[in-house]
Amino acid sequence: MPPQAVDILIVEDNANDAELTLRALKQRNLANQVHVCRDGAEALDFFADRVRPVPKVVLLDLKLPKVDGLEVLRHLKGETRTKAIPIVVLTSSREEPDIERAYALGANSYIVKPVDFEAFARAVSDVGLYWLLLNHPPQ
Amino acid sequence: MRSIQRTFPLFATALLIAVAVVQLTVGYVEVRQASRRLADQRLPLATKVLADLFQVSQGRARVTGLAKNPAIVAFLRSGGRTGRDSALAAMRRLTSDTATNAGLELRDFGGKLLLRTGRFAITDSVLVSPGKDSARYGPLMRRDSTLFIAVTAAAGDAERSGGIVQQLSRVVFNAQTPKMLTGLAGGDISLYVGNASGDPWTDFGALVPAPPQRVLTSHTPSLYERAGESRRAAAAPVPGTPWMVVAELPSRLVVAPARGYLLNMAPIAILIVIIGTLAAWWGSRRLTAPLVGVTQAAAAIAAGDLTQRVPKGRDDELGRLARSFNTMAEQVSRSHQHLEAQVAQRTKALEGTNAELESFSYSVSHDLRAPLRAIHGFARILLEDHNAKLEPEAQRLLGVIDQNTRRMGQLIDDLLAFSRLGRTDLMTGPVDMKELTQVIADEVRRGDTARQGSLEITIAPLPPARGDRGLLRQVLSNLLQNAAKFTRERPSAHIEVGSLPDGGQTVYFVKDNGAGFDARYADKLFGVFQRLHSTDQFDGTGVGLAIVKRIVQRHGGRVWAEGAVDQGATFYFALPGEES
Repeated sequence: MPPQAVDILIVEDNANDAELTLRALKQRNLANQVHVCRDGAEALDFFADRVRPVPKVVLLDLKLPKVDGLEVLRHLKGETRTKAIPIVVLTSSREEPDIERAYALGANSYIVKPVDFEAFARAVSDVGLYWLLLNHPPQ
Repeated sequence: MRSIQRTFPLFATALLIAVAVVQLTVGYVEVRQASRRLADQRLPLATKVLADLFQVSQGRARVTGLAKNPAIVAFLRSGGRTGRDSALAAMRRLTSDTATNAGLELRDFGGKLLLRTGRFAITDSVLVSPGKDSARYGPLMRRDSTLFIAVTAAAGDAERSGGIVQQLSRVVFNAQTPKMLTGLAGGDISLYVGNASGDPWTDFGALVPAPPQRVLTSHTPSLYERAGESRRAAAAPVPGTPWMVVAELPSRLVVAPARGYLLNMAPIAILIVIIGTLAAWWGSRRLTAPLVGVTQAAAAIAAGDLTQRVPKGRDDELGRLARSFNTMAEQVSRSHQHLEAQVAQRTKALEGTNAELESFSYSVSHDLRAPLRAIHGFARILLEDHNAKLEPEAQRLLGVIDQNTRRMGQLIDDLLAFSRLGRTDLMTGPVDMKELTQVIADEVRRGDTARQGSLEITIAPLPPARGDRGLLRQVLSNLLQNAAKFTRERPSAHIEVGSLPDGGQTVYFVKDNGAGFDARYADKLFGVFQRLHSTDQFDGTGVGLAIVKRIVQRHGGRVWAEGAVDQGATFYFALPGEES
């Protein structure tokens, strides 16, 4: 069975955050082809499968078990096959060094997760809408 | 710069020169006086010798003898009438053997010439009143360049029977005579003879001008000028004649020994001064060189080179100074190293603490917010998805959860902002406070949507500040937001931003007519999470003013507040002036 094509890859260790993210996407009907990786290693494994088409956008947390988000970012932006994938860093960290390093490694966006659920849901669904529907990636 | 190494040799040289000058002067004066005394003894002696010489050398006796000759006496007694031949013969005996004789005359007492022999006559009168028993000398006389002397004697026994014998002698000059006389007087001394009353005078070689009268009358040797040269002269009368002799020494010969002394001693004195100067220079160098070494080492240590040491070769006070200095430098160096090690250790510890703090705030930022978000998110989901099944009380409780999680999120954000303040570096530069306040006032007006009444913000001209623009913006923003917040319930709210000059610093203030505060708690205003109003009354986390205080303190300034309940509040912050 060929692996399913994925629109959005969520890399998030916190199950609650993942669920909230999925719910926010679902409300905008963007959750049809979403895959969740629970840590950085799993995310790298996901991309190791060269048969599977690459996702249209990756929502990447920074603080992850095993391989952290910045490492995943560096890896994806270093590979020809994956470097064009838009990567949105979605994290709780507001720390300036994190923001600088993420952009230096080629992150396309950096979004601080709001505590407020409405704001969080809005941010996630806006990101989904933008990168899936409005953005034109290279063919 | 003053330096002992230079001043001491200079002082020694000055001293030596002074001693040399005094010594030379005293010596010179004494030698000159001694040689003058010697001259003053020699000169009278010379005149006396010369005067004596004249007395014995002149042939007074011959004329005296002639006046007693019977043939002459007989001729004169006859009034020149008889015995002319025998008288002439007696006179010829005298004139023929005397080369200097100019003439020999026989006259009666009236002066009438009776008989004359000799080569020429120079006068037709009796030149000096004759001596009775012996011939008498007349003054020196001059005809052209020749000098004559008259010697007269009376012949016979009385004026009525006799006459006068007068001899006229020529003074014969000889170029050798002055030298001979000088030699006789012991060298250097020139001798002169002439009339006591004045001209003519001679040095026996030629005619010379007469010495001034004061020299002739002085009893002691005196000074006068002859032929443009200063001379020391002594005069003495020649006994039995109207003549005087003068012995002279040129003054330069009198002072010559003193000059000689100077010429001999001056080079010796100069040599002594030079040797003394060199010795003083060497000594002072030897004395000050170790001091210079210590001074240089101290300067090097003061400039930060703690490895400097002084060579300590000598065994005297200076050597001990060098050793003490080295010990001190050693201690300074040791304590400096100790201090540096301590500073390094503390810095490392601080860095560790800082890193811990950073990771702590990172954890707070990340880990504390995630569960909060979950609580908030799932409570919202309950409210949204299961609203129909929930009782009103359950809905209210979920609302409380919702509110509190929001507030907790705000608290975390503010706390992180506050802790970040201590870690970021200041980007200092000039800040246009007036323009900055204007921008913030506009923001405050835009965000001030919950107000019922009017809001007026007046901004006085504000002097520029020196500081971090972003942080000062936060100060003004927090203060203006606060002022807006606490005047929200006023029907007509006033916020005034102004400044006061205060010495070297500028005091800015934000004044409102809002709720104010109880002045007793003014010191609590700026504490973290300190609030003087309940959250029901005015929202907020109690971090805003703590941030204001921290920023102002990091700029080297201070903050304070004045106010009273319901009387409004004024918040002041003072920043150091532009120049500091």
